[in-house]
Amino acid sequence: MAQLFSPGADAIYRLALMTGVACVVGLPVLAAGIVRSNYVTGVGVAPAQPLPFSHKHHSGELGVDCRYCHTTVEKEATAGIPPTHTCMTCHSQIWTGSDMLKPVRDSYAQDKPLEWVRLNKLPQYVYYNHSVHVTKGIGCSTCHGDVTSMQMTYRANAFEMQFCLDCHRAPEKYVRTPDQVWNMAWSPPANQATLGPKLVAQYHIRGGARLTECGICHR
Amino acid sequence: MSDTLLGGPSAGPLIGPEETLRVIGGAVTAIPLTHPRNRRWWIAFAGAVSLLGLFVLTLGYLLYAGPGIWSNNNAVVWALDIASYDWWIGVASGSLLVSAVLLLLGAEWRGAVNRIAETLALLATAAAGLYPIIHLGRPWFFFWNLPYPNTYDLWPQFRSPLLWDAIDIVSFLVICVSLWFIGLLPDLATLRDRAFAEAMRQADAKAPTRKLALFRAQAYGLFASGWRGSAAHWQIWVQAYRTVALLGVLLVVSVQTGASVMLAGSLMPGWHSTLLPVSFLVNAVYSGVGVTAVIVVLIRVVYGLDALVTARHLDVLGRLLLCLGCASAYCYAAEYFDTFLNGDPEGRAVLVRRMTGDHALVSWTAILGLVLPAQVLWSARARTAPPAIAAVGLLVAVGAYADHVMVLVVTLTQDFLPSSKLPYGVDLWGIATFAGSVGLFLALLLLFLRYLPAISIIESRRLALARAQAAEAATREASSRAARPEENPGPAPLWGVSATFASQSDLAAALQAVSGIRPDHVHLDGHGPVPMPRTLRALGLEGRSILPYALTGALLGGAGFFGMCVYATAYDYVFLIGGRPRLSWPSFVVPSVSFAMMTGCIAIHLALLVLNRLPRLNHPAFNIPGFLRASDDRFFLSAEARGDRFDPARIERRLAGLPAGGGRPLEIRRIPR
Repeated sequence: MAQLFSPGADAIYRLALMTGVACVVGLPVLAAGIVRSNYVTGVGVAPAQPLPFSHKHHSGELGVDCRYCHTTVEKEATAGIPPTHTCMTCHSQIWTGSDMLKPVRDSYAQDKPLEWVRLNKLPQYVYYNHSVHVTKGIGCSTCHGDVTSMQMTYRANAFEMQFCLDCHRAPEKYVRTPDQVWNMAWSPPANQATLGPKLVAQYHIRGGARLTECGICHR
Repeated sequence: MSDTLLGGPSAGPLIGPEETLRVIGGAVTAIPLTHPRNRRWWIAFAGAVSLLGLFVLTLGYLLYAGPGIWSNNNAVVWALDIASYDWWIGVASGSLLVSAVLLLLGAEWRGAVNRIAETLALLATAAAGLYPIIHLGRPWFFFWNLPYPNTYDLWPQFRSPLLWDAIDIVSFLVICVSLWFIGLLPDLATLRDRAFAEAMRQADAKAPTRKLALFRAQAYGLFASGWRGSAAHWQIWVQAYRTVALLGVLLVVSVQTGASVMLAGSLMPGWHSTLLPVSFLVNAVYSGVGVTAVIVVLIRVVYGLDALVTARHLDVLGRLLLCLGCASAYCYAAEYFDTFLNGDPEGRAVLVRRMTGDHALVSWTAILGLVLPAQVLWSARARTAPPAIAAVGLLVAVGAYADHVMVLVVTLTQDFLPSSKLPYGVDLWGIATFAGSVGLFLALLLLFLRYLPAISIIESRRLALARAQAAEAATREASSRAARPEENPGPAPLWGVSATFASQSDLAAALQAVSGIRPDHVHLDGHGPVPMPRTLRALGLEGRSILPYALTGALLGGAGFFGMCVYATAYDYVFLIGGRPRLSWPSFVVPSVSFAMMTGCIAIHLALLVLNRLPRLNHPAFNIPGFLRASDDRFFLSAEARGDRFDPARIERRLAGLPAGGGRPLEIRRIPR
């Protein structure tokens, strides 16, 4: 009697079976990896802006305070994007002929705002308030990274729910003393384990159950 | 069991008088290979496909407009969508339980029913599985119900019966596919061999369709995974089939309990009878048997399989329907008696509304369909009349659907608050969705009937074996003359020696005779169309068991899932609301049991493949002349050479020296590698 399949068919068949199993296992892993990749989240990617504004130069080297431009960060939900007038407070006096700054001067002359490319976005169904975070000891760099070292600004963290929950479940790991909130190079001090819970009590942060209620963010 | 309870001695034979191994294989394999009643099939298929088209249309509109098209409202959130789901999963549970219980009890007559029941279970689960997805407002997010690596840092709510349902249906699908496929495996090999014989005939005749014939044989061959009916294959197969059936029975109980607890977990009146899990189970099995009976009768009529599906099978199905009809009547009576005797006023009001309210017609359909028709089957004449069995089955199926609608809708239209009273009327789109799912079911069923054996060949063969004794004696006479070692010294290296037998007893005797010859240098095996328990001792395979694998798989899976629930809810994401304890372990039992059944089933599959060294599409045993008949009516012995000191002549002498009727082969051959 003849064989229905050639001897090589076995290898192909088993390879196909194993490939199928590998796909069933591998595809979810691949999908989970892609969803977390910088390609999707945009972390570390500096998009082209109307002009190459450097946080490193202004805030890091020259020492301009965050609040000089982002004026409402302590009082309102949004930190605020500075109007052209804020730039012109200095640049009407220095570098007034610079080619690089031409878009700023045009914006001022034509009374049309600069259209910056937005980096940090939250979905519409998430309520977020800057003022409550910075006044309760959560520093800028916890979410935005060390902006003072960024030549071109990029997104430092993917604002996925797990990022928010990480802190909302254990705020004592991230909370700072008020003078450290604007410190862009902050890292937890050696005594954070004892200091954190103290600060949480001092700020009246009701951690754990209260901060993880759905309605805290999804209002 | 099958004789005393389910089939009386007077009920007639289980199999037609002229059926032998060969005839059975031929009769059943003829359907997928030659497609008789082709025109009727195409007409039926066209009808089913047009219903399927309606399904696609409805689903498109549903995705566009949302579940509001079913007239579901804020009070009646579950209506035809969940009733249809419950009905389909009920039919699936019933069919699966019928097949599994018959297999476990060793009911010898199951052959004509089991394949159909298993197929119905599989297809009904496929139809049921769509409903929980499409009734979500945003079906494309269905996977949010499963524990997958998400970026929310959240777990699904393992305390919720809704999650149990998701796990249940996935496990159910795995078990159904598994039971169906394991049962089908030897039959696929039979189909492969018939198709291959036909392909070789066409190749010799240079027929224009010879390539198609070869392709068909190879398609069956791929699914048969190189099954060659070896005694070792059969041993594992029998165990795997039974063990998956056992897991299926446990899963059915778990699924139906879960479905009833999903209702009991709410605060709604009328859903808290302690008998609810039992009546869910009874009505589910009842509807499954009903649908099975209808389809069995249909297939019997259409393909003229009267000799395989005998009057006695119908009688047994009738008795089952009658038993379950009485059980269902008891459940209804107990619910009314219990509620009116000591239930709360809201519960009593629900029962009264069922009988007299807006949906009284549905309730009466349920009670009249489930309780009354089966009573006809007290008459022995009705039990053997195909139209009567089919009619009762159909009424039971309709009654079971009405029962689900009644249980859901009457309670939901009015709970404790006057403000949450909203009327509900059955909507055309709801009916269209259900009709569409029936179309899906029928289209798949018709495809199955066209391309696969509707009646289990192997189970019917086992029945015919007993009768085959007389025929065996006749072939033995022939064998006493034909047995002579055939010198076949080809240039190809030797794989081993084969011998052909007409019966299992001859094969077993021959194996016993040669098993003493230098076991280190010979690997013995037997091949045949049915399980060969009598050969196992000679092959030294006695006591080999698949159970440790199944048990390990099930325990690891169940413990893993349970551990995941505990870790998620008590440690990783503690979310204490509603006064629940931190470690609320009882709610994790149902999904863990379902998951354990699934992993146990997967472990059995792996064991079936690995222990049998399958898949193996190309194997030297296929070189044995006439080996195609190993899936038909011949038994083969193979003595495979292991090492240089293999002595084929000695084996041939030993075989040829056996007495006629005591193991003398019909033919002895040397097989090249």
